[in-house]
Amino acid sequence: MKMKLLPALVLIGLVLAWELLVRAAGIPAYTLPAPSLVLATLIANFGSLAGSWWFTLKITFGALALACAGGVLIASVFALSPTLERALLPVAVVLQVTPIVAVAPLILIYVQSTTAALLLCAWIVAFFPILSNTVVGLRTADANLRDLFRLYRATPWQRLALLRMPSALPYFLAGLKISGGLALIGAVTAEMVAGAAGRETGLASRILEASFRTETPKMFAALALLVLTGVLIFTLFNALSRAVLGPWHASESSRTD
Amino acid sequence: MSEASSPLISLHQVHKRFGGSLEALRGVSFDVRAGEFVALLGPSGCGKSTVLRLVAGLEAASAGRVSAPALDDGGGATAFVFQEPTLMPWASVFDNVWLPLRLAQRSRAACAPLVRQVLATVGLADFERAYPAQLSGGMKMRASIARALVTQPRVLLMDEPFAALDDITRQKLNGDLLRWWAEQRLAALFVTHSVAEAVFLSQRVLVMSVRPGRIVAEVAIDEPYPRTAAFRSHPAFVDACRRLGEALEHAAA
Amino acid sequence: MANRIALAATLALAAVAVQAQDKVTFATNWKAQAAHGGFYQAVADGTYRKFGLDVTIQQGGPQVNNRPLLPAGRIDFLMTGNLLHSFDNVKNKVPTVVVAAIFQKDPQALMAHPGQGYEKFEALKNAPLALVAKDGQFSWWQWLKVAHGFNDEALKPYNYNLGPFLANPKAIQQGYSVAEPIYVENQGHFKPVVHLLADHGFSTYSTVIEARTDTVKNKPDLVQRFVDASIIGWVNYLYGNRKTASALMIKDNPEMTEAEMEASVALMKSQGIVDSGEAASNGIGAMNAERIKDFYDQMVKAGLYKAGEVDLAQVATLQFVNKKAGQDIKAKLGGK
Repeated sequence: MKMKLLPALVLIGLVLAWELLVRAAGIPAYTLPAPSLVLATLIANFGSLAGSWWFTLKITFGALALACAGGVLIASVFALSPTLERALLPVAVVLQVTPIVAVAPLILIYVQSTTAALLLCAWIVAFFPILSNTVVGLRTADANLRDLFRLYRATPWQRLALLRMPSALPYFLAGLKISGGLALIGAVTAEMVAGAAGRETGLASRILEASFRTETPKMFAALALLVLTGVLIFTLFNALSRAVLGPWHASESSRTD
Repeated sequence: MSEASSPLISLHQVHKRFGGSLEALRGVSFDVRAGEFVALLGPSGCGKSTVLRLVAGLEAASAGRVSAPALDDGGGATAFVFQEPTLMPWASVFDNVWLPLRLAQRSRAACAPLVRQVLATVGLADFERAYPAQLSGGMKMRASIARALVTQPRVLLMDEPFAALDDITRQKLNGDLLRWWAEQRLAALFVTHSVAEAVFLSQRVLVMSVRPGRIVAEVAIDEPYPRTAAFRSHPAFVDACRRLGEALEHAAA
Repeated sequence: MANRIALAATLALAAVAVQAQDKVTFATNWKAQAAHGGFYQAVADGTYRKFGLDVTIQQGGPQVNNRPLLPAGRIDFLMTGNLLHSFDNVKNKVPTVVVAAIFQKDPQALMAHPGQGYEKFEALKNAPLALVAKDGQFSWWQWLKVAHGFNDEALKPYNYNLGPFLANPKAIQQGYSVAEPIYVENQGHFKPVVHLLADHGFSTYSTVIEARTDTVKNKPDLVQRFVDASIIGWVNYLYGNRKTASALMIKDNPEMTEAEMEASVALMKSQGIVDSGEAASNGIGAMNAERIKDFYDQMVKAGLYKAGEVDLAQVATLQFVNKKAGQDIKAKLGGK
């Protein structure tokens, strides 16, 4: 019980220290607002911030879903055709290493719909960890199991679906945990560059807007929602991983023999 | 005694070379008839696992002739039990045992009675929904054997399946194995480096030499089945162990 | 004897003056262009130095937001494009104040391709693509939305690259009436349609100088010197020899050319951006409270603020301007 509380206590402590610092040093709200002010601002503006939060969530999870689909699909193709893998993996690597901050303005010029452009930017950063982890995972099927499948004359499709994909599952989930956070970063970065356009705007645009209008407490309020989103994503995928892998994989099992 | 019929498994002057330079087997020849229990005994690295893999069709001989059911028809007639239980960790015991039938396109519902029957045979009837991570080493091996038996194979190949288990479990499983083998009337080829195990289980023990492997001795164990634990103290058992021990020393020379 | 004393005194004063240069950072709101000319002039020809100021100009840019630097104390003076920013600051209790208004007219404009139906201002709001940089997006664009029916659907970021505007005949783009149209003619080889926001109700002062209120309270002499030197810089830039100022601006912004800047200066004069109206009589930088109130009322009417939400007395201080600074120099230079 104590161990579980520890991180929460540390966080609360930090927030309290922040509040005390601002009050003691008399730091003005437009430089560093106190947590109490940020909370008040958040509550006061929750109506409009909630709409932006929802938009950011849609982009993040939309991109993540597409990254899963794309990553798993392409990894499966690679697993079935080593030639294709050798040919196309460099392309995926190039996508991975290109900084999204540099590419986002170009994408926003070429893609008509801003929402599609944001999804694309978030997808680019989120897709590679899923792809590379799943590719590795699909290769790690136990050698004896592979022999067993050969013995019983399994078709390549059966091998993929019944042996390689389940073997890849822990790796895929590890990639998913990483990509969850990255999808959020991609969505936020793209929106920062886009500077908001269209009817719906996300939290990043609200942060920009507040920054330009020197409404610093509102900046922090929107930022707090972003941080909360990141934490939620992390917690969600941790729980998912535990639920799926718990009964059988070493990474999530608590057995110590 | 088994009937006079053509052997189910036959190796004739089989040579196996790996990577052009590693000569694993040199001129291995032996037969196994339907319903026979034969043990392959030898020191580590003598190639006995390679022989098993040749019979299973997982390797091809570099020279010589291998004839076995696995090399003819589409799977199912030959079952293989590895040294590790080799269960799919993400699947329940039931689904693990179902696998060979599933790969033959048979539905879960249709296979359920057969799976349950074979689980009952190995004593895991209450564990069909358990995951491998929840089973002990001995139970996992039983599940592995259940999977091997579910296709009602004619040939059962076993590669030191009990080597990783403790003595008590091992001896118990030895006794159980003989019961299951007798029920199914399989031809069994059992690889081991335990003399006692070879003598207890089989009718014939083939002794292999160090690499490059070849059969250097054959000892018949005439004790009738069913064999009980008492057999282990029998003079014939002790004598067979002594003879095999000597043969092994020669083989290692 | 008196001569020697005078000489010694002068030398001493000069030495003190050289040693006592106040270090000042002035941040602009765009990349260096003719619309910043007066400030660069005052650096280039030593006017700031003469007033005991060692001024560093920190240029802004289309994606840069340097506004928080002023209240944070990282810069001393800030160039702002319109009074909306100042209204926001006062509303949010950010302690800054406007000390001078260099532009009497805001040159903020929207450009369009000719012959595409944008000859009338009302047509602009239906453009499928409006290229606006961040600073504008969060100030005058908001006014365009509520006062003239523009909407966010069309908005895409303007990154100081004319490409998207030139490539799309139906696009409109922000610009300074004295700057972007010149670049469009050079790069796109056509004269764009230009709609000045000031002609449609956006009556704000522009290129105002903002300072922290505590600077104004504790170092009014410094502020006065900076304002006066800047005003003189503008006089020299508009009517005198601009060559060194131009060179300095090109160093900061290599994409700028001298020809473009000269054309820009001509437009600034012909459109009466800097030295017109009040400034002609009271000196460049002139401001009056009525005009600030009038602009605020317009913005309230447009729905951007509520009546009484902003204490207008805190928006600007008139103590540093309206003193006919630089008029003598202008007369000497011929004032044209």
